[in-house]
Amino acid sequence: MDRPVEGLIDDLTRGNVTEVKVVLASVVLALAVYQLVLAAVSYGRVRPRFFESGPATWAHRAVGDTLLVLAVAVAIACITFYGFEEGGAHAVFGCLVLGALAAKVLAVRVGGSSSPLLPWVGIALFALLTATWLTSAGDFLGVS
Amino acid sequence: MRPPSQMTQIVGSILVALVIAAVAVAVVTAHFGPTSTAKLEAREDAIDARVDAREERAKAREDRREEAEKRREDSGSG
Repeated sequence: MDRPVEGLIDDLTRGNVTEVKVVLASVVLALAVYQLVLAAVSYGRVRPRFFESGPATWAHRAVGDTLLVLAVAVAIACITFYGFEEGGAHAVFGCLVLGALAAKVLAVRVGGSSSPLLPWVGIALFALLTATWLTSAGDFLGVS
Repeated sequence: MRPPSQMTQIVGSILVALVIAAVAVAVVTAHFGPTSTAKLEAREDAIDARVDAREERAKAREDRREEAEKRREDSGSG
């Protein structure tokens, strides 16, 4: 086959590439909202009695790692199956999401978890994820 | 009231993440569920049409490039 990755994705999703992509992208967005809550607890902006900052930070990282894997999987499916040509705003937002993800990982590696940039990169990443979802999965589901 | 142990909090927060993921999957899948076979087929056809159109454009681009190269070679040799 000319495009082995495209064929593999088609096989893995049993021909339902769009549907699987929409489901995964929606899971990413839902978990991204949860990430905001975890970050707020982690930074001490919200202080519930039953949930402390340390466990919230740990959970934020664990969920973030999972989100990274899911987002990259969705991006690979999107780029290999649909390409950039018809993406429009969705393609632009998607590329910016990957850039913001890379920036966030870099900010943690270079500046540590106390980097003042981290919350802003996180908020930007969430906004871009939302925009990417709205221009594809949201559109498909009739939300946007 | 004392907060639960850190391990309990971590396990609880991960369980909440799993529940959120499961609910998101259920809600979106339910959205697909009741669609009729005809609708699904129409959607598949639309996707196929987009893929075909993309391949046609790629082929046309390739042809144009080959033609341009051929013209360049012709003008270079002539």
